[in-house]
Amino acid sequence: MCIAVTGKGIVSAIGIDEHEVWQSIMDAKSGVAVPEYLRTSHKELLCGEVKRSNDFFKEKLHIAKDKILSRTALFMIYAIRDAIRQAGIDDEELHRRRVVLVVGTTVGGMDLTENVWATLDSEPDNVKILLHHQTGDCTESVAEYFGFVDESMTIATACSSAANAIITGAELLKANKADIVIAGGGEALTRFHLNGFNSLMILDKEQCRPFDGKRAGLNLGEGAAFVVLENVNNGTKRAAKVQAYLTGYANRCDAYHQTASSPDGEGAYLAMTDAMKSAGLSPSQIDYINAHGTGTPNNDLSESNALRRAFPDAIPPVSSTKPFTGHTTSASGAIEAVICIMALDNGYVPQNLGFKSADDGCITPVASGFRTSLKNVMCSSFGFGGNDSTLIFSSAPTTGEVRHYDLHSQITVAGHHKFTDNGEIDEIKQYLKPAEYRRMNQILRVSLLTSLKALKNAGIEKPDAIITATSLGCWEYTEYLLDQLATEGETTQKPSYFMQSTHNTIGSNIAAYLKCHGYNTTFSHGEKSMDLAMKDAENLLVTGQCKNVLVGCHYETSPRLRELMHRLGVDNLQPLYSEAFIMSIERT
Amino acid sequence: MTMEELIEELKLEIIKTLNLEEMSPEDISPDDNIFGEGLGLDSIDALELIVLMEKKYGIKLKDASEGKAIFQSIRTMAEYVSKNRTK
Repeated sequence: MCIAVTGKGIVSAIGIDEHEVWQSIMDAKSGVAVPEYLRTSHKELLCGEVKRSNDFFKEKLHIAKDKILSRTALFMIYAIRDAIRQAGIDDEELHRRRVVLVVGTTVGGMDLTENVWATLDSEPDNVKILLHHQTGDCTESVAEYFGFVDESMTIATACSSAANAIITGAELLKANKADIVIAGGGEALTRFHLNGFNSLMILDKEQCRPFDGKRAGLNLGEGAAFVVLENVNNGTKRAAKVQAYLTGYANRCDAYHQTASSPDGEGAYLAMTDAMKSAGLSPSQIDYINAHGTGTPNNDLSESNALRRAFPDAIPPVSSTKPFTGHTTSASGAIEAVICIMALDNGYVPQNLGFKSADDGCITPVASGFRTSLKNVMCSSFGFGGNDSTLIFSSAPTTGEVRHYDLHSQITVAGHHKFTDNGEIDEIKQYLKPAEYRRMNQILRVSLLTSLKALKNAGIEKPDAIITATSLGCWEYTEYLLDQLATEGETTQKPSYFMQSTHNTIGSNIAAYLKCHGYNTTFSHGEKSMDLAMKDAENLLVTGQCKNVLVGCHYETSPRLRELMHRLGVDNLQPLYSEAFIMSIERT
Repeated sequence: MTMEELIEELKLEIIKTLNLEEMSPEDISPDDNIFGEGLGLDSIDALELIVLMEKKYGIKLKDASEGKAIFQSIRTMAEYVSKNRTK
């Protein structure tokens, strides 16, 4: 089975189509600049901002100006439209075949939410904007625009979201659950996460300098990118021009810390080596690596150590393209994947823009772009909580791992626990020291406790994979930070709250406790999240990738959120919900 | 406010900000190392302390590395606060 990329679309600070983006890369022109469209007082924080207004995108996409759509959704629609055009799939085929949309985003509709959060009581009409807040709402609005999407899903693993969306999409094609997959991600800049990253003190005031001895942090960016994935042997009558083949990938977990990468880069190392294994390629066959390379002292050092371990004989040319685009967080996996495919197509290694001085601890990246023949390129994305994923794109199919589907064996629930009583929360103290749980809020404590009890119930110490379903993640802290923005303005946010406001904190917190380096993902698509998580677990089991999977469903709301949603007629929100299953397969 | 009073205030603030729920001010000696051995705090706590300095005492640190010398112990922190506070 060959997963082919037949179309791609990209919106970023260096261009809103692939020609503009590639021209900027050839011209060594960065898109990192003073933010103009984001309503922030932090003009000193340079960003990779898309220099187009929301109205510009609405006009181009024939969307009414007064229609409520997040900036994230607008970027995504624009990129998907280009990707489908390039794939040359007409409406008739799109409606006839099974089309699945897989989106990676964490911000979702936060750009809308943060603009109305202070005025929800004084202007009651603003409350309805909250219906666009969730990541899943954002995805659904994109699917609705196109009309031909049969199923859509959202993955929120912070900065590896889009890479994981592409992996999930490829697995759906391999399992024949889809004919055409549109996978990628999008993220718009918000005051919420700009101030959050600022409070972590990891933003460089200048254009970021990945792997440089003088690097001082990252620049945030925004944008979206999508690829159209198809199984080229799957009976399309259309002569699809294949842009590249997705020959290998792996999703692994660092299982180390909520934000920091481990010194030896274990998660990154596993993602890279297992991606090569899945593609059937040896390290010497990788011609170029588009690194995660954020520019923070910690990431680049850890990633360099992982690269040295994964490529012990010789490290191929490496560059980070984040000095061009900024760190587009959840979109970065797809934005950099599209850049990798263009590099493959053009036979050109993009430069690590602005690189000047080597760092003793870091690898030396490509200082000037150069032409060369490229066959296999690697693209890595690492997220908060150590959600590390690597993709490999190739100019020709490789002889990699073949999936065998064991459809006769029985999938069973080997262990289960459902949280029922608030008094139970304190039991976490039997498992953790005060220093370990003091920073965890309620949902983190409960989700970990529920998971540990389910594992105990199954007699398993460590699962092979962890899949989490949550629509809002750690809402308590998200709401605290929104309140802080509304009342204090753009002051320094509470760092430990911001770190926990990403949806994947729940799953990565469990992984870090269990030291579970296996597959780790988070579905954040409203009420559908748990169903998606279960189906994903089933795929891991029937393909023999895992023997058992911890699947958890963890939701948290607040009195304020329930009151707001009540005004919109939504009354089924529970304060706290946590349930964990150990799924396993019984071979027959 | 005397140095001793400031030290006691800082202990309470740190316990609250860092959620050291099992600790009381008497458990903390003003000369204990805040990071590593001693209180056993980490880099995220350092960021929290930087925010505390800003919100409570109106002191803005430019980067995390500045914090290293200041946050050696509660006493070094108190000395820095008394010299540089703007509120």
